[in-house]
Parts: sequence; C-alpha cells; structure tokens
Amino acid sequence: MFRAILFSQWKWSRLIVALGAVAGFALPIVSLQGAAAADRSPLQVESLLRVVQSWGTLYPVLAAALGLLVAMATWAPDHRGRHVHALSLPLPRWRYALLRFGAGVTVLAAPIVAVLLGALLATTAATIPAGLQTYPIALALRFALALLVAYAVFFAISAGTARTAGIILGAIAALIVVQIVAGVANVELGLPDRLQMLVLNWPGPLAVFTGRWMLLDV
Amino acid sequence: MVSLFERIDPRSPTPLYAQIAARVSVAIAAGELQPGEALPSVRHLATQLRVNPATVVQAYRDLEADGFVEIRHGAGTFVRELGPGRRARERARQATALVRALLADARRLGVPLAELQEAIQEEIGVYSP
Amino acid sequence: MTDAIALQDLRYRAGKGFELKPLTLHVPTGSIYGFLGPNGSGKTTTIRLILGLLRPLSGRITVLGGTMPAEAPRILARVGYVPEQAHLDATLTVRETLRFQAPFYRTWDWPRAEQLLAQFRLADDRPFGRLSKGEKAKLMILLALAQRGELLVLDEPTDGLDPVVRRDILAALLEYVSQQGATVFISSHLVHELERICDWVAVLDDGRLVTEVPMVQLKNGTKRLRVRGAPVDLVPPPFVILARESENGGSAETWVVRDWQPEMAPYFDGIGAALQDVIDLDLEDGFVELLRTFRTPHA
Repeated sequence: MFRAILFSQWKWSRLIVALGAVAGFALPIVSLQGAAAADRSPLQVESLLRVVQSWGTLYPVLAAALGLLVAMATWAPDHRGRHVHALSLPLPRWRYALLRFGAGVTVLAAPIVAVLLGALLATTAATIPAGLQTYPIALALRFALALLVAYAVFFAISAGTARTAGIILGAIAALIVVQIVAGVANVELGLPDRLQMLVLNWPGPLAVFTGRWMLLDV
Repeated sequence: MVSLFERIDPRSPTPLYAQIAARVSVAIAAGELQPGEALPSVRHLATQLRVNPATVVQAYRDLEADGFVEIRHGAGTFVRELGPGRRARERARQATALVRALLADARRLGVPLAELQEAIQEEIGVYSP
Repeated sequence: MTDAIALQDLRYRAGKGFELKPLTLHVPTGSIYGFLGPNGSGKTTTIRLILGLLRPLSGRITVLGGTMPAEAPRILARVGYVPEQAHLDATLTVRETLRFQAPFYRTWDWPRAEQLLAQFRLADDRPFGRLSKGEKAKLMILLALAQRGELLVLDEPTDGLDPVVRRDILAALLEYVSQQGATVFISSHLVHELERICDWVAVLDDGRLVTEVPMVQLKNGTKRLRVRGAPVDLVPPPFVILARESENGGSAETWVVRDWQPEMAPYFDGIGAALQDVIDLDLEDGFVELLRTFRTPHA
C-alpha cells in the first residue's frame, strides 16, 4: 500500500525533489567559496562569517519552498479527483492521510541528504581559519527539522478542500489588511508582532526557521 | 447457436426468459436442435445476448421443467430426446401462439377475419412450392 | 441477509437546492438492480451515501450487512465502485494504475485484470490522463471487476459512450456476474440499456422514490388501455390509473394503468364501458408515464 502511494508521490514530485536536492547540495559548497583562500586576518574572518550568514538565510527559504511544493504534490492526485477515489478506497481516512504524509517525508529525505553531503564536502574541502568551528551535521539536522515543519504545515493546509485553504489564506490576508488600516490610522495594534512573537520565538512552531543558519561559526 | 436468439426483443412485454425458452423449444420441436446437443453455457449466452445471467438460468430451468432439456451440473445443459408426438404437439402449440398474436394484431388494425384468411391463403400460395 | 443494500428513511440535504426526501430502498442480494431517474434526480447523491462518501442527515444505510458510513473501510473492500466521472491520478499509466489499486484489495485478481486488459485492448503504458473517454470507462470497470467485489455500484457507467464500448463493458459485466454471482447496483438514465439486464428497477425523481418493483412486474403491469363509454365517476378499479385522457373530446379514452392483469377486463362491463384494446408499454414508455403522473398528481 505504502509503496503504491510512494510511487504516485514520486511521479508527481520527482522534478521538485531533484531540483531541491541539487540546490541543497550546492548551497553549502557555494557559501564556503571564499574560505578556500589561505590564512587571513581577523577582519577577513569576520567578513567570511558575514558571507556565510547571508548565504545561510537561503536554507530556511529552501526548506519552506520545498515543504510547500512537495506538500502540494502530495495531495495533487487526490485534489484532481476531488478526493472521490481516495475516499472510496477501503481504509480509514486517517490511515490514508498518514500514508500520504509518509510518502512525502520519504521523498524529502533526498534534499536532506543532499544538504548533509554538500555541507560535509564543503567543510572538508575548505581551509577553515583557526578559531572557527564547522557544524555540517547540526546544519543538516536543522534543515531537516525546518523542512519537516514546513511540509507538515502545508500538508495540513492542503489536506482539506480548496475551501479550507482559502479560509486560512483569507485569515492571513485579513490580518494584514487590519494591520495596514491600523497603520494608516496611526493605531498601534501590534497584532502581527504579537503573533510573530508567538509563532517564531521558542517554543513557537516556526522558531526553527529563525536565527542564524551557520555552517561556520566561532 | 447464438444466432438462434437473434430476435430476442427486450422491449416486448413477454419476459426475456420466456422468449429464450420459446426459441429453444421451437428449435427442438423443429429438429433444429438434436437430442444430446449442448445449449450455450449460461455465461456465454448471457454475455452474447447482454442479458442478466439469471434470465438465462430461468429459461433453462423452465425448459428442464417442461422436459425439453436436461441440466447436468458441472457439465452443461443438453437437449433431451423427445417422442415424435411430443414434438408435433409442441409445434402445434407454437402455431396456435402465432395465430393468436396475428389475430390480436388484426383486431387492433381493424382487418376483417375474411380478409385475413384470404391474405393467409394467398401468402401460402406464393411461398409454397 | 437478503439485501445487499438497504436504505431506511434516508434523508440528506445539499445546500438549499437539493434534498433527498426520506428514501427507503432494498436491493436483493444477487440481483441486477437498475436505478433510474432523470439527470439531477439524486441518483449520484444516493450512491455516494451508499458508499459512505457523504453523511446522511438521518436514516440508516446497510451495505453487505454493515452500517455505513461507520464501517466504511471494511465494507468498501468488498464493493467495486465505478463513479460517474473517472477520478484517477492522471499521470499514472494504465499499468501503474493497476499496481496502485491492487495492494488495497485482498481479493484483487491479477489474472482477471490481465485478461480484461487484453479484452478491452487497453495500452499498458498510456497515462490515464491521455485515455479516451471510452478507454477511461473501460479501465474503471476493469478495476471494479479485478477487485472481485461482491457488490458492484456503477454510476452511469456507459453514459456518453459509443455503442461498441457500451457493449464491451456490459458484456464484461455480465460475464463477471455469471461467474461470481455478484449483486449489481447500476444507475442510468438510459432506460433501454437496463431493460435487458435488470431484474429490479427503482425510479427516482427530484429526490423522491417513484417506485421500486421487480422488472417483470413493471413491464407487464403497465399498459395503455383504449376504453369507450366510461363514466366520469368510476367505481374504484382493481388496478391503478396513472393517466386518463379523452381522444378528440369524444367518448373514446386512453388510460395508462399500473398493476394490470388480463382477468381485470370484466371491470369495464361492470361500469358500462367497453375495453377495446390493451397496449403493451416497454420500459421507456412505462418510465415516462410513471414520471409524468408522479409529477402532476391528478384528482
């Protein structure tokens, strides 16, 4: 059963997964390009860290994008059939959803492994200035976690009908509109700020996305 | 063999099983089907005629009850040996049924009996050698 | 257990436009049951309720002895379903679709699937999305038959298909039934198609059940009578009058009646009228007359 679902998942998401894996592999390597240059002054070390940090912002972006696309691809065949086929299969709905979820997670293993390999390769190939540490495994783990969180959130959103997804997006849009109107009226609601605090700060569900994503650090 | 059933009419008020049974009994009475000959299997006939298999089963059961065929389980349905008297009687029965239908149609169309008789004789004259 | 499907006082409402009035149906095990009704009469909704895809407002749905939708997963393993519109993953090829479907059914029959694939001349490697309408319909039937269900629920399985494909599909269906003895619940607005194969018929109109009878009874009992000299006020007849119209304003009338039997002819002598003719109606005529009288209840 799982193999059958995994196969259809693969057919729908193989391009996304392949591109994601390439990007995931390339990102750590590209981010350490400058590090190959030999010994450097403390000033240069600082600039290297800045480069690594600016490249680091791409990891959560990649994780979010991959999570979104794969989650969409996961439900795509069922959305096409307005879920009729899935519902007429002889298994409980929660089990079907679990199988679909598992299939998505399985294909996401590819970009995670790619990030890990890329990070390992980059850190072994580069000459790391003294005083700096490499964190390839920690970075890959963090990427994996962020990817799974993004995937789970988008999976849950697109598991419902187009209407559910519409309601969620509508709520977000309404929030933004309220904020803008409040901003124009010079009323400080701080709604998004408070929401942001709640969601992004530990232990908020999206905390894993924030902060610095460093392959190199002190 | 299936051509025997070519003129089965699902729209007729006569039930399909009765139509199928009638075709077979006529063919047996006329000697078209020989004793010992196998009838098509239920599955084959139902598929070919595109009728409910239960309809064919019922037709064969009725034929068996009337002594025309014998159902051997697992083997099929076979034509039974009929005495010449029985065959003649069956033909007569069919002839009566045909005439009844003809008379009913004539009445509906308002054709007088005399004209009908005349037409029958004329047709027989034309078609007999 | 004698009913493959039993609906008891089933009610359902979809928005404000459509409603199933309390619906009670009994589909005998082993029958080929025709579910007739004009487009929009609620056939598909009823089928979705039977399969547990929708939840009723009230009432009881029993399928193969189990309650729907509570026992849906267990029951659906024994039910082959062909929906009105094919809904499979468009990117999977025919072969991949079979491989997707097979693991979900313990009863899956690969030899039959292969045989039907050949019989229907379906190309293994063509994606579902690029099949013609007829090929899609064949594949849907193939899936339902290879699954070896005890009950087949077919929602307009041949609607809009050319006669050759229709024949192929019906032949495969009947072959299956004669081998497996399955119950078939088949909805259609194509009356002729059902006339050959069904032994039970139900007619639905605007969410209400018009009638549920054995085919033989529906076909044999519904007649058009030509009557002369009948009084306006009748002694209650032993049959049901569906319609009564006078011809050219004269004393000759046409009646459409239900539950007619030849022994009832003397009734007309009793009311001083003459029965001139009894005309047989086929299923389509009977269907049309039933609907007509159902929609305009006469005094």
